[in-house]
Amino acid sequence: MKGTLMPHRSGRRARRTLAVVAAAALIALPVGAAHATDTAPAVVAAEATATPEADATTFRIATSGFVDTFNPFVSIYLLPTNTIRYVYEYLVQNSAEDGSPTKGLADDWEVEDDGMTWVYTLQDDLLWSDDEPITSADVVYTYEQMMTVPELSVANGNLVSNFESVEAPDDKTVVIRLKTPQAPNPGTEVPIVPKHIWEEIDDPATYANDTDVVGSGPYVLESYSANQSITLRANPNFWQGAPKVDRIQYVYYTNSDAQVQALRAGEVDFVSGLTPTQFQALDGVEGITAHSGEGRRYHSISINVGTVTRDGQPYGTGNEALKDVNVRQALRLGTDTETLLERVMEGRATPATSFIPASFPKWALPADDDVIMAYDPEAAMAKLDEAGWVVGASGIREKDGTPLQLRLLVDADDIIEQSISEYFVPWMQEIGVGITVESTDGDTISDRAVKADYDMYFSGWSVNPDPDYQLGINLCSTLPTGTDGSGGTSQDGYCNPEFDAMYAEQRSELDEEARQQIVHDMLAMNYTDTAQIATWYPNSLEAYRSDRFTGFTLQPKDGGIIASQAGYWGFLTVEPVSAEAAQAEEGGVPTGLIVTGVIVAVLVIGGIVFVLLRRRKMADVE
Amino acid sequence: MTNTVPPTEEILLAETGSDKAPRRVSALSYFLSKLGGAAVSMAMVILLGFFAFKILPGDPVAGIARERQLSPEQIAQLRSQMGLDKPLWQQFTDYLVNVFTLNFGESYVYRTPVAELIGDYFWNTILLTGTSAVIAITLGLWLGQKAGWRPGSLFDRITSGMALVLWSVPTFWLALILLMVFGGTLQWFPTGGMTSPDPPTDPLALVLDVAAHMVLPVVTMVAVVYAQYVMVMRASLMEEKSADYLVTARAKGLRDDLVRRRHAVPNALLPAVTLMFLHIGGLIAGAVTVETVFSWPGLGKLTFEAISGPDLPLLQGTFVVFSAVIIATNLIADLIYRRLDPRVRRG
Repeated sequence: MKGTLMPHRSGRRARRTLAVVAAAALIALPVGAAHATDTAPAVVAAEATATPEADATTFRIATSGFVDTFNPFVSIYLLPTNTIRYVYEYLVQNSAEDGSPTKGLADDWEVEDDGMTWVYTLQDDLLWSDDEPITSADVVYTYEQMMTVPELSVANGNLVSNFESVEAPDDKTVVIRLKTPQAPNPGTEVPIVPKHIWEEIDDPATYANDTDVVGSGPYVLESYSANQSITLRANPNFWQGAPKVDRIQYVYYTNSDAQVQALRAGEVDFVSGLTPTQFQALDGVEGITAHSGEGRRYHSISINVGTVTRDGQPYGTGNEALKDVNVRQALRLGTDTETLLERVMEGRATPATSFIPASFPKWALPADDDVIMAYDPEAAMAKLDEAGWVVGASGIREKDGTPLQLRLLVDADDIIEQSISEYFVPWMQEIGVGITVESTDGDTISDRAVKADYDMYFSGWSVNPDPDYQLGINLCSTLPTGTDGSGGTSQDGYCNPEFDAMYAEQRSELDEEARQQIVHDMLAMNYTDTAQIATWYPNSLEAYRSDRFTGFTLQPKDGGIIASQAGYWGFLTVEPVSAEAAQAEEGGVPTGLIVTGVIVAVLVIGGIVFVLLRRRKMADVE
Repeated sequence: MTNTVPPTEEILLAETGSDKAPRRVSALSYFLSKLGGAAVSMAMVILLGFFAFKILPGDPVAGIARERQLSPEQIAQLRSQMGLDKPLWQQFTDYLVNVFTLNFGESYVYRTPVAELIGDYFWNTILLTGTSAVIAITLGLWLGQKAGWRPGSLFDRITSGMALVLWSVPTFWLALILLMVFGGTLQWFPTGGMTSPDPPTDPLALVLDVAAHMVLPVVTMVAVVYAQYVMVMRASLMEEKSADYLVTARAKGLRDDLVRRRHAVPNALLPAVTLMFLHIGGLIAGAVTVETVFSWPGLGKLTFEAISGPDLPLLQGTFVVFSAVIIATNLIADLIYRRLDPRVRRG
């Protein structure tokens, strides 16, 4: 190499520096890599002994969910709240069978004073995961924090807004006194926290609660690494006994296609939220079971019924024609949801009757109810004729010179909404209704939905086992207070005083059968009023490594879902197929793969360096 | 000059003004004018950072309320926590204070200061993009000078052809294909993340673990960007090829290879250096797609997720930081170029 750089001493230091840097990079890389291969066997040995998790069975779930915090008082995103379900037991749990109230911390409850007072008795010998006893003081502490500290009511404040007081006459009894009588069990959905931990925390509202959490559920949160993983460990003190899997680990994947690949590669054991295409691709793959379960969501086309504020002031840009219930019913009659369900959803959904999903059979409006209207374009046209809309020259109906032309907002990113509109537009054309599809982004749609700047848009909610909340957001009192749509939480801008009266009635009806009848009547009324066309309850598409794990509990038990339950049943009963199977992919990436990677890198970079060096040498020889 | 490199005004000045009377641009005024330009750009970015995201459709609280059953009281509580109940001018002054104290406010989703989040993810992005940049630059320059020395040869046609094909491939698509083939099917490399879910405790094993996770994203990034270095280096070398000093070098009896390596390449490197600096800033911001596909916990992924929130403070923070990095590297490129190329100093 003698003197190769000599001819350039004429002040071109910068260039030389660059050459040196480049050379250094070239040399450093293969040296580092070669060093790595030398020590690789040693690493394999070291890893086997160094990882304490070698014997633990770990069930890995791919996720892309947001995490705000694991603080049960303030967490509102789906992933952390679902995790919290596994960490803290409620006073009353939602059953796996149908979501109805079942034994939680309390194994018995009495309703007194016509629903004004609820008395709960806790189970015997309950322990927190740190072996401290669980007592009624913990329950009282939790509820009182939510009732008295506004910052701690962010997540679940609505669940205690009817609470007058919570008392603990003894260690095992909790008495909840309400402001108004209430039929829905007030002990559900609120995670009870350990008083002895939380009262020591200076500012509970900002406490992250993400390491070594003390809990009462089947799993406790062990550690959290943002955008990387969430690790839960089995709680031996859980009242139903410790789960059979030692750890549950959520692993982050931003991209849902990557999640599918991770499942194929065995890096994760469970994925959810699959698209039909992904589901199809995984169905039938060896070692993987694809599961399509009846979810707790409904999907609908929301109709602008002529929005008004709470004190009756009209707002928004809804088409006048839609104020007529006959026109709205005609839209429903002209929509062939059965065909949509087959063509768009490939049958992976249950036809909807209302906004209460069929997976809560106690409350959902039965499909054979008298009010249900089947697809009938003739009847639709008769309704429109009756409403005074006559077919004009262009085939679009008119009334007083105004054509019946409606806007449908479609999320350009949502393939399902787009597919539906392709069927919907010609069907409406057939009955003489013109549809203008306005394709835009989801944020714009929610913005316009708030301002009532629409005639129709696609909507949907996840519904809880008790229908009270969902019925409640169809009351006149949830309409907005401002003409810009502010101050409201209404589902479809629906308002019917009769419906409101029945709502109050069901809320205090302690006889479950009677309450069930009222709820059905309410849903039937809402159906006839047609503030939305509920299309279906989409199935939740999930897949898991059935060569490694088995024993998932569905909610509802018959044909339900595994993840995103209103409860902790899905992963509670999961167990390894065999001890070996669960160990197969332990420790994430097998070291062999790492070695392969390094060898490939060495070959590539080494090859380049070899060529370079050889050329240099040849030059020197000459 | 090739049209792939945006010429800085100095290069243009050097080229067009060379026949005019020599005019020495004072170092200080040059520096000040560049600095002033950068400051104006930065001020615009800060203004834009507030107003551009304010007019985005979508209310962050409405976004949350759609997924969870919230009462009006809870919604009001959230709005006040996020400062959304304040008048616009007050939100703007809050924002300015946050920017100038380098704090950027608190993320709506993560509930932590944005500056802290960016700090946490910054080095992950640098690790990924830095490695890719070193490999892409080395590979690109080496292939480019080889190809440029014998344009039209088989080597040149294969190299340029390959480079251009990969350059035209959509990053997202290439990343997904690599992920499917090498991650899902062959299972040679992990399908995502920066480490295994249970990272090894041994430091060396950890390095290997991270390296294995880096392979696919780095290959993707290199594949889509190395072409520009190939093309710039190739064109630049072709220009130098006919220069007189190469005739001299050949006359000295130097072998063709040495003429290329010792004489032509160093001169041809100049435009490539400019290109490198112009792209350093872009590299940091440009990792969004790759980080998203491979779930790499970096700034790109953070930005991607902030958009779907919408997590305004986080979006503003990453926007201002990305822009600041690009403005700063462009400024450095201008200054360094002046050091490297004397023609810029003597107009």
